[in-house]
Amino acid sequence: MVEEIEPPLELIQEWEKEDEEFKEMRRSKADWEFINAQPPHIRAALIYFIERGDIYKAARVADMTVGEFDDYRYKARIPNIT
Amino acid sequence: MRGVADACFLIDWSRYRRRDLLEKLFNLILIHEETLLQLRSPPAIEYTSSLLASGLLRLYPWSSDDEKQYNKLREEVSLDPRLPSLERPDLLCLVIAHRTGSILLSENLGVLRVTQFHPLYSRVKVWTSLEVLENSVYSGLTDIDSLDEFLEIVREYEEDARHIFNKKRLDTVAKRVSEWLRR
Repeated sequence: MVEEIEPPLELIQEWEKEDEEFKEMRRSKADWEFINAQPPHIRAALIYFIERGDIYKAARVADMTVGEFDDYRYKARIPNIT
Repeated sequence: MRGVADACFLIDWSRYRRRDLLEKLFNLILIHEETLLQLRSPPAIEYTSSLLASGLLRLYPWSSDDEKQYNKLREEVSLDPRLPSLERPDLLCLVIAHRTGSILLSENLGVLRVTQFHPLYSRVKVWTSLEVLENSVYSGLTDIDSLDEFLEIVREYEEDARHIFNKKRLDTVAKRVSEWLRR
């Protein structure tokens, strides 16, 4: 049995703030006209990516590889943020 | 210099107008075959194929010991709901970087966060594209006379890859570049 390693509270608080800030940046930069013109599963995946910034899960929602989904992210003008 | 690349890094970097910088900065970049399978966009396929052909990019020979280390790491961190989800290919890259003492080239927020607190993996050096651009300055591959010139290079990257660097990280890197310019 391997013990989980937990991040310290101050880091978690810093990440929560960052996550909110990044989500807002993705929302404001996105091309919503392009997103709304996509088929439902791709639109849902793009919106999931805007909300969570998680490209692996978003790619899975769209039933694509990360590379294939990233093409849609790029066309939708949604920034990757690190 | 030796690196390990994850899918997010290669996908973004493949769109950069000065992507050849990577080949000048590194002698060898390792990649896991599961990472390679994620690269299905035309610019990323074309770019990684050229890196494989040149010999700079090489498939990492994954072992059963590597798999054990991956399983341990997965149990330690992947179920924590406060971390962005950590998928198998991301953690494989972190394990390879640790085991080979390589620089991890990653744009994965979950991986970056694991290296901020994990006692073992905080020893792994992680570079996003921002640190690659920074180190291209120190190694003389990118010639700049002022911080503004460096920030213009960063802006070009952000534009090409549709990527934004977190202001806090950008400020830290800008401070280091300014100090280097003063020397």
